[in-house]
Amino acid sequence: MIKKIKKIFKASWTGLKRQGFLTLATSIVIFVAVVLGTSLFLFQGGVSFLTDAIKEKIDVSVYFKDYVSREEILKIREEVAKLDEVKKVSYVSPEEAYENFVKTHQGDSYLESLEAIEVNPFLPSLVIQTKEPSQYKVVSEFFKKEEYASLVYEIDDYKRGEIIDRLSDIASKIRNFGLFLTLFLSLIAVIVTFNTLRLSIYSQREEIEVMRLVGAKNSFIRAPFLIQGALCGLFAAIISFVLFFLVLFFFNNNLKNLLMDFDAFVFYKENLLMVLLIQLLIGVGLGLISSFFAVKKYLKD
Amino acid sequence: MIEFKNVSKYYPANSLREEKAALKDISFLIKEGEFVTLCGRSGAGKTTILKLISCEEKPSSGAVLFENQDTGEIKKGETYLLRQKLGFIFQDYKLLSYKTIFENVMYALEVSNNSKEATENDVIQVLDLVGLKDKMNCFPWELSGGEKQRASIARALIHRPKVILADEPTGNLDPYNSRDIIKLLLKINEASSTVVLSTHSKEIVNALKKRVITLEDGRIIRDEENGRFFL
Repeated sequence: MIKKIKKIFKASWTGLKRQGFLTLATSIVIFVAVVLGTSLFLFQGGVSFLTDAIKEKIDVSVYFKDYVSREEILKIREEVAKLDEVKKVSYVSPEEAYENFVKTHQGDSYLESLEAIEVNPFLPSLVIQTKEPSQYKVVSEFFKKEEYASLVYEIDDYKRGEIIDRLSDIASKIRNFGLFLTLFLSLIAVIVTFNTLRLSIYSQREEIEVMRLVGAKNSFIRAPFLIQGALCGLFAAIISFVLFFLVLFFFNNNLKNLLMDFDAFVFYKENLLMVLLIQLLIGVGLGLISSFFAVKKYLKD
Repeated sequence: MIEFKNVSKYYPANSLREEKAALKDISFLIKEGEFVTLCGRSGAGKTTILKLISCEEKPSSGAVLFENQDTGEIKKGETYLLRQKLGFIFQDYKLLSYKTIFENVMYALEVSNNSKEATENDVIQVLDLVGLKDKMNCFPWELSGGEKQRASIARALIHRPKVILADEPTGNLDPYNSRDIIKLLLKINEASSTVVLSTHSKEIVNALKKRVITLEDGRIIRDEENGRFFL
């Protein structure tokens, strides 16, 4: 058995070496497919990062009337925090609101106006983040209850629903487009790889014929070609893995600016095993499947 | 050993041609150890008979029996067992150009997974038998046509086949080399193998004085011992 396996691997390796240019061409085609798959994985990661980042920035601010005490607001905060939909509730005192305003409007004319009135016009508020942006309505409804309505000055959810819906819509469209692109490009990659391998196997058709005529089993004939395809895929996956690592390592800062702070290198490192698995699956899988179908033509019983 | 029972073979029509009948209801029996020559014009059905024996093709009707087994009943994926009992010799040699003569013959052993008993010594012995021992490290392109055909015979013999199927083995050779190849086939036949030779060479058929099956347009028109070329 071991002798047989050794024979098959030897035949595969000889075939790869002898095919030189076609081996290179096949590996390059599979490499392109692996790069494509990996890029799409990173793209999906980037999209998730961006939508999460935007979602993080969406909150509902509930302003209380100036006579509502801090203790009362903190009690309400406890009640709000009990809601299943709520992820985080923060109390912002008028003083903190004032400081935040000063920080963000340094050098603005607004600041001069604020200084001119000599009082703190800001109201105490609760800043509430829901688990899903679409759950903001639950918060609004909560404060419309009789017991709270009289204490609330304003709920800042102006057009939030519309923005959130549009955002969710865009995120889902980007995801669907990514998925479509993945499937479409994968199909092209399969066709191109299949044809390149077919060309490679066509050039070895005489050898296949000789093997059949001297009484080789179909599985024995097929095995070296499957291994050749898988090895081309393996080379492609390894090169792609290293190349992505190096590119992301050296150009991460440039990419960060381009990708709105998405740290692709950290994402790559955090998902190293997953990336490797995807690359091996695409590379080796594509090589194996394409070889299987390409060699089948020459293996009529 | 090999029996054809009312065998017909039709190649179905396609966009380029109409349905073609390669063999029409032919029957014959080849006994173990016989030397049989199939002769006839190109397209008479000689190669189709060889392909049916080796299970390269299936008959459209009738049955082909090899050692009393209907080849049509061989399970898918098991035809290799039948082919291990056959040795093929072709007009165009079908040697692998990137392997030496020794490697070409050894390769037949390796891929047929038959190397348990056979060794490198067997390869050298069989190359000696065909007169190529001195050239076993040469590549096919370094040999003459006759030498290439002898190498191809060595490859056919290496796994000790019961039947040798030779399809126009002298088609590319001059008369001297042709004579040598036929002598070699006779020697193999005497040693034990059944030989089925397909040819359209009058000189070879007449010189052999063996059984001749003459084909015309897919039918057997003559089948006689010590036959002569008749067309």
